[in-house]
Amino acid sequence: MLFLISKRVLVAFATVLVVIVLSGLLIHVVPGDPVTAMMAQSVSATPEVMAEMRARLGLDLPVWQQVMLYLTHVLQGDLGTTIRGNEPVLRLLMQRVPNTFALAVSGLGLALAIGIPLGFLAAVNRGRMVDTVVMFIAVLGVSIPAFWLGLIMIQVFALKLHWLPVAGSNWRNILLPALTLGLTYCALVARMTRSALVDVLEEDYIRTARAKGLREHEVLLVHALRPALISIVTVVGLVFAYLLGGQVIVENVFSWNGIGRLAVQAMLERDYPMIQGFIVVFATSVVIVSMLIDILYSFLDPRMRQK
Amino acid sequence: MSISTEISLRRRGLPLGVLLGLGLAIFIIAAALLSNYLAPFDPTRMAAGPRLAAPSSAHWFGTDEFGRDLFSRVLVGGRLSLGIGIFAVVSGLVIGGLMGLIAAFSGRAVEAVLLRLIDVLYSFPDTLIALALVAFLGPGIENATLAIAISLVPFYARVTYGLAAAERAKPYIEAARLAGIRTGRLVRVHVMPNIGQSLIVMGTLGFSSAILSAAGLSFLGLGVQPPSPEWGAILASGRNYINKAPWILIFPGVAICVTVLSFNLIGDSLRDLVDPRRKGRP
Amino acid sequence: MNSPYLSVRNLCVSFPAISGGFRAIDDISFDLARGEILALVGESGSGKSMTSLSIMKLLPAVAQMSGRIEIEGQDISAFGRRQMEDVRGARIGMIFQEPMTSLNPVLTIARQMTEGLVRHNGVSMREALATASTWLEDVGIPEPARVLAQYPHQLSGGMRQRIMIAAALALRPGILIADEPTTALDVTVQSQVLDLLVDLKARSGSGILLITHDIGVVAETADRVAVMRGGRILEIGTVDEVLRSPKHDYTKALLASHLTVDKGLKQRAFELEEARP
Repeated sequence: MLFLISKRVLVAFATVLVVIVLSGLLIHVVPGDPVTAMMAQSVSATPEVMAEMRARLGLDLPVWQQVMLYLTHVLQGDLGTTIRGNEPVLRLLMQRVPNTFALAVSGLGLALAIGIPLGFLAAVNRGRMVDTVVMFIAVLGVSIPAFWLGLIMIQVFALKLHWLPVAGSNWRNILLPALTLGLTYCALVARMTRSALVDVLEEDYIRTARAKGLREHEVLLVHALRPALISIVTVVGLVFAYLLGGQVIVENVFSWNGIGRLAVQAMLERDYPMIQGFIVVFATSVVIVSMLIDILYSFLDPRMRQK
Repeated sequence: MSISTEISLRRRGLPLGVLLGLGLAIFIIAAALLSNYLAPFDPTRMAAGPRLAAPSSAHWFGTDEFGRDLFSRVLVGGRLSLGIGIFAVVSGLVIGGLMGLIAAFSGRAVEAVLLRLIDVLYSFPDTLIALALVAFLGPGIENATLAIAISLVPFYARVTYGLAAAERAKPYIEAARLAGIRTGRLVRVHVMPNIGQSLIVMGTLGFSSAILSAAGLSFLGLGVQPPSPEWGAILASGRNYINKAPWILIFPGVAICVTVLSFNLIGDSLRDLVDPRRKGRP
Repeated sequence: MNSPYLSVRNLCVSFPAISGGFRAIDDISFDLARGEILALVGESGSGKSMTSLSIMKLLPAVAQMSGRIEIEGQDISAFGRRQMEDVRGARIGMIFQEPMTSLNPVLTIARQMTEGLVRHNGVSMREALATASTWLEDVGIPEPARVLAQYPHQLSGGMRQRIMIAAALALRPGILIADEPTTALDVTVQSQVLDLLVDLKARSGSGILLITHDIGVVAETADRVAVMRGGRILEIGTVDEVLRSPKHDYTKALLASHLTVDKGLKQRAFELEEARP
C-alpha cells in the first residue's frame, strides 16, 4: 500500500514537472518579442527596464537553458512577478486559491448530487422512457456552455427575480456560480453514472442477489450502487479537471475572485509570467486532487486494500 | 444475457438520436453555407435598425447595441464557428492521429515517452489548453483556430493510439508482419481503414468541443475579434445589456447549444454502434 | 413416494423479437421431489440453463414464457415480482457456474451470507451470523469466523462455490437449482463439491436440479436424468434406465463420446506403461 501511494506521488510530481516545462516553453510561442508585447501598455517601459526583464526571464539564453531557468525558479517557489504591479505571482495566486477551491468543490458537490441520482434513474430504467428522457437531458447539458448558463442564471435569478446578488465572492454569492457549474457538469456525471451502473447490473453477482430473493431495492442500492459508486470515484478526478477548466470562464461571468478570473485578466493584459504561474498552479491543483482521489479509490475497493 | 441486449438494440431501430442530430446538423450546415444569401442585412452594418430593438418581423432576432441585425449576425456567426470547427478538427485529427500512430508503431521507448506526454496533456480540459495557447499567440481568429486545433491533439492522439494498439494485437497484423510487410505500408493499408470508422465518430465529438472552445475564447475577447459576429463574441457584448435586450443573450446561446447538441447526438449514437466494447449495448 | 416439490408442465420460452421468433424452450415437463437429484444434461444451447432461469423467473424482460410451474402444488407462473421475491431463495435456491464472478466483490462474505437470512427469516444479524458460521463449517470451510470477515477475491474458486452452496442452503429451500456448479472449477475440486452437494442433500432433504453438460457427473451423482436438446426433453428417467438403455440416438451419442474419452485415457496410460523399460 505504501508502495502504491509513493508511486502515485512520483507520477504526480513527474506530471507537474512536465507541465512546468511546457509552461516555460510557452513564452516562445509569442510571435515577436514577448517583452515588447508584455510591456506594450506599460508606462514605465524604457529600454533598460525591458532589457532587465528579458534577462530575468532568460529570453536571451538558448531555449533549453531558459526553460531550465524557469524550472529551477518554480521549484524554489518563485513564479515570477506580474507586469502590472511587480508583485510576486505566487502570492497573488495563492490568495485566490481558496476562493476557487470553494467554488469548485461546491460545484462538484452539486454536480454529483444531481448527476448520480439521475444516472441511477436512467440505468435502472434502461431502455424505457425515463432513460431516454434523462439521457437526452444529459446530452443537452453537455452541449450548453457553462458561461452562457451562468449569464442566463444571472438574468433570471439575480436581475429579474432579485433573489440573489450578482457579484462578489463570499458565502452568500456562491450559490449562483456553484449552481451554474453543478448544472453544467451534472450531465457528464449522469452519463458516467449510468454507464457504470449498466455495467454493474450485467454482472453475475446481481443475478445471484436476485436469486436469493432479495427485494429489488436492496439489489439496486446495495449490490449495484456500491460497486458502481466505487468505479465512479475513478472518474470524479476527470470531472473535477473539466469543471475547473469551465470555472475559469464562469469566474469571469460572476466576477468571482478566484485564480480563473485573475488568469483571464492576465491573458487580456499579456501578463505572461502571471499566465505561466496560473498554468502551474492549475495543473498542480488538478494533479493533487486526482492523486488524492486515486488513493481514496484504493481504500474504497476491497480488492485494492491489501498488498 | 447476450440475447436480450441484441434484441434491445434492434427494437429501437436506428436511434432517434442519429435522426434528430443529423437533421439538425444538416439544417445548421445549410444555413451556415448559405448565410451570405440568407442574411437580410450585412452583419457588421450598424444602424440597420433601431438600437436594441426587440425581435420583430423586420428583425427576427432583434438588434444589438449598435443597431446591427442580430439574425444576420447569428447566421454569419454560424459560418465562422463551423469553419473554425472543421479546420481545428481536421488539423487536430491529422496531427494527433499521426502522434497516436507513431506511438503505437514505433519502438517501446518512443511509445513510453510519447504516451506519457499524451496522457499528461489529455488530463487537462481542452478549452483551457486553447486558452493558454491563445494567451501567448495573441487574439484573433487564426490564432484561436490554431490554438483549438492543438488543444484537440492530445484527445485525438490518445484515441488513435488506443485504436491502433488494439488493432496491433490482432492476428492479421501479426500475419502481415511475418509476411514481411513494412510498418509504413502496414499502417497505411491495413490499420487505417479499420480504425477510420471510429476516428470519424471521434471527429464529430471533437467538433462539438471545438465550437464550445471557440465560443468561450471569443466570449473572453481572446478569440474572434469584433466586429466579427462569432457567437461567443456576440454574447460578450450582449452581456452589458442583459436587462434591456435579453434577446442578444438568448439567440446566439441557443445557436451554440443546438449546434453542439446536434453533433453530440450524432457522435454519441455513432459511437454506440462503432465502439466494440459497447457494441450491442444501448 | 413423495409428491413432487417442483412440477413443470408444458414450459415454453420464446423470444418473439428475434427474427422468426426463437423458441429457446419448447414444451418441456418434469417433476422434482424433495431429496432427489434430477440432472438436466445437454450441450450448450440446449436450453438447460434457460430452464433454471425460467423457473426462477430471472429471464430477460423480452422473453415470453408459458406453461405451468408449481411449487408444493401452488402455481407460481402468474406470480408478480414481489411474490417471486418471496419464492426465490426461501423456496427455491440457486447456485451458478462462475464462483469467481457470482459473488459481489465489494461486500464481505458475512454480508452476502446473512442478507438472505435476514430478509426471509427476519432474524437478527447476530443470529444470522451464527447460522452462517455453522453452515460454513458444514460445507467444510475451516475458521468460519475469519472467512466471514473476508472478501471474495481473497478466497479460491472452490471455497467460493462452497460459500455459495452454504448461503443457498442456509435458507432451507425445498429445492436447489445448481447450474453447472463444477464446470469452472479445477478437476480435483469438482468431485469434492459434487460429494458435498450429495451429502448436503441427504442431510437437508432438499431436492437438487443439477444442470450439467458432463454425463460423467450425471452418472456419479444423479438419481434421475433428463436429456435436453434444442429446447426439448428427449428422454427422462432414472439414471440406470437412461444410461444403460438409452432410447434416443442423441443420448447414445452423448454416452459414446464420454466413454471414448475414458477409454482413450486408459489406452494411453497403458501405452505409456509399456514404453518404460
